[in-house]
This record gives sequence, C-alpha cells and structure tokens, in this order.
Amino acid sequence: MFNYNVKLALKSMRRNPIMTALMIAAISVGIGVCMTTLTVYYLMSSNPIPHKSDVLFAVTIDSWNPLRPFDDDYPERAPHQLTFHDAERLIDVGKGIRQTAMFESSLIIEPAGEDQLPFEVGARVTYTDFFPMFDVPFLFGSAWDRSADTNGEPVVVLTRELNERLFGGADSVGETLTMQGMRFQVVGVIDTWEPTPRYYDPINGGFQRINEMFIPFSLTRVLELNSTGSDWGWKSEDITSFEQWLNSESVWVQYFVQLDSPRDRDDYVTHLDAYVTEQKKLGRFERPMNNSIHNVTEWMEYHEVVANDARVLVGLSFLFLIVCLLSTIALLLTKFVGKNSETSLRRALGASRNAIFRQQIVEVAVIGFAGGLLGLMLTLLGLEGIEYLYEAPPGLVNLDWLMVTTAIAIAIASSMVAGLYPAWRVCRIPPAAQLKTQ
Amino acid sequence: MGFGPMMSSLMRNKTGAILVALQIAVTLAIVINSLFIIMQRVEKMNRDSGIDVPNVIITDVRGFGDDFNVVDSISNDIELIKSIPGVIAATVSNHAPLTGSGSGTGLRTVADETVVPVGTARYRWSEEGLDALGVELARGRNFYPEEVQYILPTSNSAAPASILVTQALADELFPDEDALGKTVYWGSLEPSTIVGIIDHMHGSWVNWSKLGNVVVQPGKPAYTNNRYIIRVQPGMRDEVMPLIEQRLGESNRRRVVKDVRALEDIAARSYRRDRGMAIVLTVVISFLIGLTGLVIVGLSSFHVTQRTKQIGTRRALGARRIDIVRQFMLENWLITTAGAALGVILTVAVAYWLEVSFELPRLDWRYLPGGIVVLWVLSSIAVYEPARRAASVPPAVATRSV
Repeated sequence: MFNYNVKLALKSMRRNPIMTALMIAAISVGIGVCMTTLTVYYLMSSNPIPHKSDVLFAVTIDSWNPLRPFDDDYPERAPHQLTFHDAERLIDVGKGIRQTAMFESSLIIEPAGEDQLPFEVGARVTYTDFFPMFDVPFLFGSAWDRSADTNGEPVVVLTRELNERLFGGADSVGETLTMQGMRFQVVGVIDTWEPTPRYYDPINGGFQRINEMFIPFSLTRVLELNSTGSDWGWKSEDITSFEQWLNSESVWVQYFVQLDSPRDRDDYVTHLDAYVTEQKKLGRFERPMNNSIHNVTEWMEYHEVVANDARVLVGLSFLFLIVCLLSTIALLLTKFVGKNSETSLRRALGASRNAIFRQQIVEVAVIGFAGGLLGLMLTLLGLEGIEYLYEAPPGLVNLDWLMVTTAIAIAIASSMVAGLYPAWRVCRIPPAAQLKTQ
Repeated sequence: MGFGPMMSSLMRNKTGAILVALQIAVTLAIVINSLFIIMQRVEKMNRDSGIDVPNVIITDVRGFGDDFNVVDSISNDIELIKSIPGVIAATVSNHAPLTGSGSGTGLRTVADETVVPVGTARYRWSEEGLDALGVELARGRNFYPEEVQYILPTSNSAAPASILVTQALADELFPDEDALGKTVYWGSLEPSTIVGIIDHMHGSWVNWSKLGNVVVQPGKPAYTNNRYIIRVQPGMRDEVMPLIEQRLGESNRRRVVKDVRALEDIAARSYRRDRGMAIVLTVVISFLIGLTGLVIVGLSSFHVTQRTKQIGTRRALGARRIDIVRQFMLENWLITTAGAALGVILTVAVAYWLEVSFELPRLDWRYLPGGIVVLWVLSSIAVYEPARRAASVPPAVATRSV
C-alpha cells in the first residue's frame, strides 16, 4: 500500500512539475537558510567542554580604581583579568587544587642553521595544570613537571601544527629550539585541539585559533615576557623596569581554577576573600569586596561570545521558514483542489477517506524529503559562504550529524504540518460530486 | 467592471487568498527589517575615516638577540623605506588605526581625579605621522622634529608638552570653547597642551561609539614590536609592498619582518562582521523575494487554468480582455494590500523585538511605505503574465464542453 501511495505521489508530482518544483524549492530554501544560521548559532553557543563546564571557573577580584568601576555599563563587575602579582599570589592561595594563571605572548624561534629563517610564534604562558584542566590531548610526551612552574625552566609544549613545521611531525620530545636566546626543551606535543568557542580565553577572542605553543608562567620574569593580549590599567604608576611593570596595577593575567564540589567552591571564595582582606590592609583593593568565580557557560555569557548578529539571523530565518511553509500550504491546497475530479473518482470507486488522506500525506512527505535533501546541500553551501565571509579558521564551521538529522526532521515535520490542512480538505470531497458536474 | 466577479472568486478560494496575504505580510516584515539592518551596516562601512586608506601600508618587524639595537634598527628601517621610489612618508607608531588593536586612554580638562575622563584612542608617532596616514591638520601645527624622541619600554616618559587631538575629541573636551592651545590632563594628572587639531580621523576600534576620538603624542616607540605606517603615491601600493618586505628582510638578519599589509585589507577585516551580516541578509531577502514572487506566479497561473470556463463565459458575455486583466490584477492587488496591512503590524513587532533584545536602533518609519510600494510593484509584475494569458482565453471555450 505504501509503495502504491509513493507511486501515485510521484505520478501526481510529475503531472504538475512546476508546482512540485516550487514546493521543493520553497522547502529547501527555507531549510537551507534556517540550518545555516542555526548551525552558526549552535557552534557559537555550544558548550565546548560539557562534562567539565560546571567545575572550571574563571576567577575575578576587584582591584580596580576606587573612583569608578571597571566597566561603566556593568558597574557590578570586577575587572575580567588580574594583575600579575595577584595572580602569582593566588597560586599560593589555591595550593592543592588544579589552577592556572595565563596570558598570551609571542616569541621568536631563532634559526638553527644558516638556511632557516627566524619566525614569530604565539605562545600561551601558563601552568602545567592547564593541560589536565582543559582536557588537552597529547600526541607525544606530556605536560611539563610541576617544578618547571616555579623554576622558570625553559621547556615547551608544541601544537601538532608547529611540530609539523619544526620537526616534520616526528616525535620531538627531548629536541631543543632557541627562543629569546634561550634553549628550550620540547617536553610534549599536543594533538589537534580546537575548542570552539575558545572558552578559556574569550577576552582575546572566542573564535581565534589556539596559540601555537605553551611555556611555563615562571618564565615571565626570566624572559621579560610581555602580554600580546589585552591589558587594562587605571593607575598612573612610575614604571621604569620590568619588575615594576609586573608589580603594577595593570590587569592582564587570566586565571582559571577547577573546583569539583560546591564545598570546594565555597572554600575557595572564602580564601579569595581572605586574600583580598589582607591586601586591603596594605592599602590595595579600595573598592568594595567583589570576588567571584564564573563557570565556563557563565564566562562565555559574560563575554557575549555569541554575537547578537547570529541571534538576529536565527530569528529572521525562522520567519523565513514560515514564509516557505505558507507557500507550501498555498501551493498544496491549489494543487489538491485541482485534483478534485481524480479524488472524487477514487472515492466513488471505493477508496476510503482514510486512504485518500494517507495518499496526500505520503505525497507531502516525499516532497518534504526531497526539499530536506536539497536544503542540506544549500546549508553546506551557506556554511561555506559564512566561513569565507567571516574569515573563520578552516574547519571551524562544520555540519555534524545532529544538525543533519535536525535538518531532515524539520523538513519532513514542517512539510507534514503544511500538508495536513490541504489533505484534510481533499479527503472531504464527496465521492462522485465532481463527476456529476462535468 | 465591478468588484462582483472578483469578490466571488476570492470568496471561493478564501484559504488560498488568506495564505498568500499572510505570506506577503511575513515577507514584508523580514525584508523591511533586513533592509534596515543592511543599510546601517553599509553606512557604517562607508564612513569617512579621514585616512588615505588605499595608499597606506602597515609593516610589523621585531628584532631578537642581545646585540639587537632597536633604536638603530628603527632609524635604519625608516631611512630604507623612504628610499624606495613611490614612498611619500613613513613613521614608527605604537599602533595603526582601523586595526582593532590599539591603546586607549582618558583625558580631562581639569587636574582632578574625581572628574570622569573623556575616552580616546592614543597614538604616538613622529612628525611624519600625519603625512604617513594622509590625515589633514585643520588648525594649529604639527610636531616639531625636536619634540619627537625615541620612547623605550622602560623609559617612563613624562607627558609630552605638545599633543594633537581630533576635532571630535576637542569638541567633547571643550564643547563651548576652541580647544587649540588649551591644556588637558592625563590619568597621571600631568598636563599637555593641544598644539594642533586634526580635522577628522578614525581610531583603532571600528565598533566603538567614539571612533573619532584620537589623541596623538610625539615620539618614536621603540618597543619589542616596531610598527611602521607608510604612505605611497596613489597606485603604487602593490608595487611597493613586496619591495619593503624584501629590503627590510635583507637589511638585517637579526630581525623578523612579521607582516607587510595594506591598511585597506586590515580595515576590511575589522569590518568583516558588518560586511558578512549585510551580505547574508541580502542573500536571504533575495531568496525571499524570489520565492514569494514565484509562488504568486505559480498560484495565479494555476487559477487561470482553473477558471478557464469562468473567464470564457465572461468574455462571451462581452467582457473585454482589459477587463479580465484588470480583474486578475485587482484581485492580486487586494490580496497584496491586505497582506501589506498585516505586514506593517508584523514589521513593527519584529523591529520592536530587535530593538529591545539586541539594542538595535529603532526602525526608520520611512522604510514602511517604501516596502509596501515595492511589494505592489513586484506582485503586479508577478501576476501580469498569468493575467494576460487569462485574457487570451477565447470566448468560444466557455461553450465547449470539457
């Protein structure tokens, strides 16, 4: 029976090719536009680390200007980054828990031989806990020893890409490279890792590539590393040496902790409060006490990782889908009305209302399926276009199985909804009524 | 010709007419709101930056090694760059405008920390800076060469005696007076005197509401990264860029030439979200208008076929072709207008949603009548051909038994 229905559907579609093409076009364009914007939104708002997003926390403390808040639009907010010296001391405050202070910098890899050219690479200056906290996968070797976090040892973890460029992709653990006149030892190479959004640093861009290498935070002093990310200052201080810069009130260091239970969280905030209270005695932190920890989702909302444009597009494209559905209903209705005589004949020959209804619904489903497939192709094309327009790193904008299934499901469901009313209208045609008038 | 046959045929296919009207309403809401957003983005991208963007090149270099002397390197580089034919002016600068990265500061007109400062982008460049960007000085003077010193990262230089500000910043600092010659105070409350006023110039962050606020300090920043702003004669840019890269690379092996880029490309990148949004929306509304148009054509053609008998009868009873065309056009016009009326309400609702949820500016009401007129024209075009075909049904068809 189903096969017969499909056969009738195809026959009826062929009889009116322009109408059929229009319906398929309407559904596919609707699906194409909707799925493109929805995929972009889904990627921007997706939880990049679902199993840990509620145990990883960004730390903020309010060391800002006593006269005005860090952000005039959100006066309740503390600065989003810490001063270098506060970050260093917080490492002691949080002893025993997984935690990292970090910032972005860049170094020059000096040529080993005459035939090579020096080049600059971006680095994340961080603690060894960075890797287990953010679930960074390793290809070769491992993170550096904890001792490197305090001794300023010149060790480096490379990304797969940089390892490819420097060592042709071989296991380079134990190899050395020269940066800032210092010989660094490679201790690990990480596997491909592109968290989207780059949740651990939305401040310097949620959709940037990750930095090409990682080096210990304790090298900041040794190499006089400057941040290439954002820094904010409010106090005019006399700075004539790097040490004075490190001790200044400028905020440029990001801080993350992992706290597994609500009790750990309470304890940690208590420790933060104690630290700030102690600093207040020294005349710093003149603003009201404002220490907080923000989990991954909160932190991304805080930095408005999802662009408003993406939301506007999703809203408008769903309105677009409504237009497509209205078109489909109007077209179906017209088409079914045109089939009145055929329906009457079938009814007169004994087809039940039910059979007619099923017949129409199958026809609609076939159209929906075709529209969905074509819509998926349009989505792929649309995403390609988005990637090009927004200069997204290649591979960032992708269609996964969830989105593919969603697309087909939306296509079929919406065409069924569109088809219900016309099908109902058609099966109410009395048998032979049409035959009589002719 | 009366409304009679038209109304009766509309009433016979009530649902169809309502559906088309609804479709037109939603189409109007999307098209008008999208067009409004597109126009804003286009306006934003086309703002005058005050800079000779097409002829400016930005170059980043960075030295390494203990024996690297940054001051020597900068002075040699500038000399070398200026020796390249076609180069008009070059300076080292802390940042370049329109790039999205820069330095910001606050200025006050009184030496009082409790006064809220006026936010502005801050640049530091040599006496050639204005020329290197092609920026016009409206009044006052440029820096004297003796005011321009090398600034090392560790030399906490005192506030400069002379500074330049843009007219926009001057107006915000001194709304009722001429800013030229006035004293302003930095965060440290150190004073500087405004010696020149730049007519108009954009700063670093294109999405900032105070993009036109710029203050310039004299100096040659000698930090780890050295950024050069270079202006060339019109049309010479693409010729000069590879030369800069090549000559700088050859002149000193203890230095990496990180980037030689056209300011035009950097600025386009800064505006990529706006450009992207405008293009995406344009594609969406093109699809939408195309689809709605085709659906109207499709439905009308179908109705023509359906109503062959009715048309034939009317023709046989003396209706002229023009009457038939008019009937179809009028029928369509009525549906479109009903849709447009509903569409106005929907458009305002969507505009309200955008304004409240996303802090988008309020919809300009003039878009509404504009949109309705466009709809009328488009739907008339869409229905004309089917209507003409309907009119050509010969009267004899009516009498034929089908």
